[in-house]
Amino acid sequence: MTKLLTNGINRRTLMKGTAAAGLFTLAAPAIVRAQSEVIRLGTLTPLTGAGGPYGPVMAEAAKKVAETVNAKGGILGREITVISEDDQTNPEAGVRAARKLIDVDDVAAIMGTWASSVTTAVAPLCWEGETFLTTVSGADSITELPHHGWLVRTQPNTTLQGRKFGEFCIELDAPKVYFMSPQTPFADSQFSSLKTAVEAGGGSAEILIYDDKKASLRSEVDTALRTNPDMIVMGGYTPDTIVLLKDLYRAGYDGKLLGFGYSVNAKLVEAMPAEAVEGVYTLSPSPAEGSKGYDALTKLIGVEAPDTYTCQVYDHANLVILSMAAGGAATGATVRETIRTVAQGEGEAVSTALDGLAALEAGSAINYTGASGPCDFTEKGDITDAKFRYDQVKDGKITLLKIA
Amino acid sequence: MATYIVFILAIAAVYALLAQSLVLVWGQSGMVNLGLVGFFAIGAYASALVTTDLAAPVVIGLVCALVAGALVGLAVTLSTLRLRDDYLAIVTLGFAEVVRIVASNEIWLTNGTDGIAGIPSLFDRSGGLWFHVKFAVAATLVCLLAGILISRLSRSPWGRVLRAIRDDQVVAAVAGKRVVRYKAEAFMIGSAIAALAGALYGSYISYIAPDLFQPLITIYVFLAATAGGNSRAIGATIGAYLLVAWLEASRFLGEIVPGVSAVQVAALREITVGLALVLVLRFAPGGLFREKNEKAPHAN
Amino acid sequence: MIFEVLPQALANGLVSGTILAVPAIGFTAIFAIRLYPNFMIGAVATVGAYAGWAANTSLGLSLWPALVVAFLVAAAVGLATEKVAVRPLEPAGPLTMAIASLAMAIVLENVIRFIYGNDLKGFDTPLERDVVWWGIRVGPQQLRNLATALAIMALLWAGLRFTRFGRAMRACADNPDLARLKGIEPVRIADVTVAVALGLCGIGGMLVGVDASVDPMTGTRLLLSVFAAAVLGGLGSIPGAVVGALSIGIVEELTVAFLSPAYRLAVGFLVILVVLTFRPRGLLGTATR
Repeated sequence: MTKLLTNGINRRTLMKGTAAAGLFTLAAPAIVRAQSEVIRLGTLTPLTGAGGPYGPVMAEAAKKVAETVNAKGGILGREITVISEDDQTNPEAGVRAARKLIDVDDVAAIMGTWASSVTTAVAPLCWEGETFLTTVSGADSITELPHHGWLVRTQPNTTLQGRKFGEFCIELDAPKVYFMSPQTPFADSQFSSLKTAVEAGGGSAEILIYDDKKASLRSEVDTALRTNPDMIVMGGYTPDTIVLLKDLYRAGYDGKLLGFGYSVNAKLVEAMPAEAVEGVYTLSPSPAEGSKGYDALTKLIGVEAPDTYTCQVYDHANLVILSMAAGGAATGATVRETIRTVAQGEGEAVSTALDGLAALEAGSAINYTGASGPCDFTEKGDITDAKFRYDQVKDGKITLLKIA
Repeated sequence: MATYIVFILAIAAVYALLAQSLVLVWGQSGMVNLGLVGFFAIGAYASALVTTDLAAPVVIGLVCALVAGALVGLAVTLSTLRLRDDYLAIVTLGFAEVVRIVASNEIWLTNGTDGIAGIPSLFDRSGGLWFHVKFAVAATLVCLLAGILISRLSRSPWGRVLRAIRDDQVVAAVAGKRVVRYKAEAFMIGSAIAALAGALYGSYISYIAPDLFQPLITIYVFLAATAGGNSRAIGATIGAYLLVAWLEASRFLGEIVPGVSAVQVAALREITVGLALVLVLRFAPGGLFREKNEKAPHAN
Repeated sequence: MIFEVLPQALANGLVSGTILAVPAIGFTAIFAIRLYPNFMIGAVATVGAYAGWAANTSLGLSLWPALVVAFLVAAAVGLATEKVAVRPLEPAGPLTMAIASLAMAIVLENVIRFIYGNDLKGFDTPLERDVVWWGIRVGPQQLRNLATALAIMALLWAGLRFTRFGRAMRACADNPDLARLKGIEPVRIADVTVAVALGLCGIGGMLVGVDASVDPMTGTRLLLSVFAAAVLGGLGSIPGAVVGALSIGIVEELTVAFLSPAYRLAVGFLVILVVLTFRPRGLLGTATR
């Protein structure tokens, strides 16, 4: 490892690299470039820590969008650079990274913040620094922040998601629902709207909060199965959902299972014995049927079934680029002003930055419809409407049931 | 750019306080508190709760943090100080995790994983760059005061006893020193300082959440104290500034090491932190500012 | 309800406790011989999990040979890391070594992340349904894990008890100076202890990986429970580590079943504090030095 490092850096620099002088020698190239004509955008996704399984491909997707636009000459006659920072799934590191993106790189927008805690910590920096923030975080409290329009989120709020989960349970004729989740900012509100929906359909719902660092969830599964549920709804992320699914299988559970599309994703299916995931239902936000965004993204990053976070950050990058092109300036303020003119309205429906740019060039108005949904925003920055993809794992493949 | 530099200085001052909290505990008494981030959290929550829920002034929040830190520090040491110091290291590591679990699950008190937003600050937040400057100055002053306090304490007879205990617990006990009591006092002061750092951090950023208080922060602070010198406040402080400078400078690793992905850069950054800690321990033990030799204390 | 739930929770606790016991033995053995708490064990467990996974999926080995690979790779990587980064700090004292081992844990975790990324890896093993005996549900894989763990403990015990080397090791743990007088070579003892102990951690990591999945933090998640087990049993006592691991496993599962699943770690921690207060050397610990 030392060798690897010393190949790139002079050994002495590494040893003394902590010296303040090192800060400036190392930072110098970035600072110089910040003043040139490149349009700079930032991604702030978790590359290490609990969000580690999600952040890397998100950062990649945003970079790829910029590359396709650059290949056609960029926007406003300028190239786009995407700078990826790591928030370590920790608000402390997230805030430092955001400050660097805002003040040193002078990015116009920060895209893809994942953990709700990181988004909440970073949001004030963005609205004070006139930098636009696009996030995938789920906590309802985020759009309640006094952000004055500097923030949008593409993740449906938890009330809506919870209701969809509940309604789907009733639709599948599974009225006795058991919700198992680690402690997250949205576990409680998600459950209460799920419960309301299930009870409206004549069912019942119970909740269990587990510790997501535990290597086996046998006793938790026992507790759940004692209630004889028809449906177990899983609220966790991929690593703990794997443990949960395996222990449910071992326990001989043969009822129905429903999880978030971002946790029961292609990687989970690949990492698990087929028999334990067969038949699991998943729900993810989605654009209307026939929208090209999802296919375009699939082709762009070469991933067969990208999960919703990847879809969302892809939409973030497209939206930010289109807003800048439409507003005629590459600043956060422009994005804030024009994002709703390219994201919604009566314009021509487009699903990629390139199509949108072509339409804008031709002088028509556009309405961006992305890979994660129609991407229409309320005043507060929440999405107005989301369709959901209902998938089911069939023969070891995540297969689309319907979009509704 | 100016905001960034001032912001980094402010964060570095918070880290410096954390590193200083190790001076009396680790440098002078030889106890290892691997739950440092837990005390950071206790202070952050204590002050956030009294300043938001009870609408108390920020200064009261800081005082509450100090008191909470000291009391919790005492509680943690009660059952472990009579044992070998390894037990304290392990128990404190577990303690920090318990703090995080409680903060995540006692939603009625801490607002759970949502965290507490809108924590009031000492200064008017709308002041832009000036807000950051004021906070950076205030934090640096607090840091300076703490440093002076720590230096005085370590020069005092009380500090000499600590070092005697560190160097040979049995001899100190035979000399009639109440070893456990001295250690508990040092630990309480250290925890209180760490808690104060948490309160300052929370009021600066205006937001805290359980995600903040991860063990990696403890390791960062140990690196800082080791690099600068863990037995002197000045050493710990300088170490913390160097640490933060490196954490920031290493962002540019990706531009220097070609052909690595973003995850690999992130991994490399953490590898450098770990390696740096080991290298300093090995090749520069005592850090930049070593303990001064002192004359043998007079018998007292 | 309690009679319905209790036996099952006890069984679950025994199973998870047995897996915990393997790395806990490693941790406590290093403490007994090397006299410092080695915080690298979590990261080394992850190394073992990755090695076993690679042997299983790339080389197509079945679980038993993969376990051997996990043991060997974890032992080699662990020993090398210990010798290069931690051991030279011996003169600076046990706590300095402990801190260095914690730093190396970060390094190892991120070296794995550098090579393999954060994506989850799954073993290529069929998943079996549990069988129910006298109303208690147990899994065949868990039983095999249990058997593995027991076999390892038996081997270790026999090795310590009956081989010349084992006797030398115990002598070294009891009194290193006396051992040296008797011509026992402390460096070799240290090397073998560290290698075997960290190899055990690798096995523990792989057993957990088979049960769940493998990612750069697999071993780190285990860390606190392993510490709790070793401290509860008495640092430095191998039988203590086993008893401690079983107790922690049971306490955690009882917490899940009867109190609150989110608090299983916190309750384990409370138990340690109580035990340390009334029995400072842990359940089976002997002398503190």
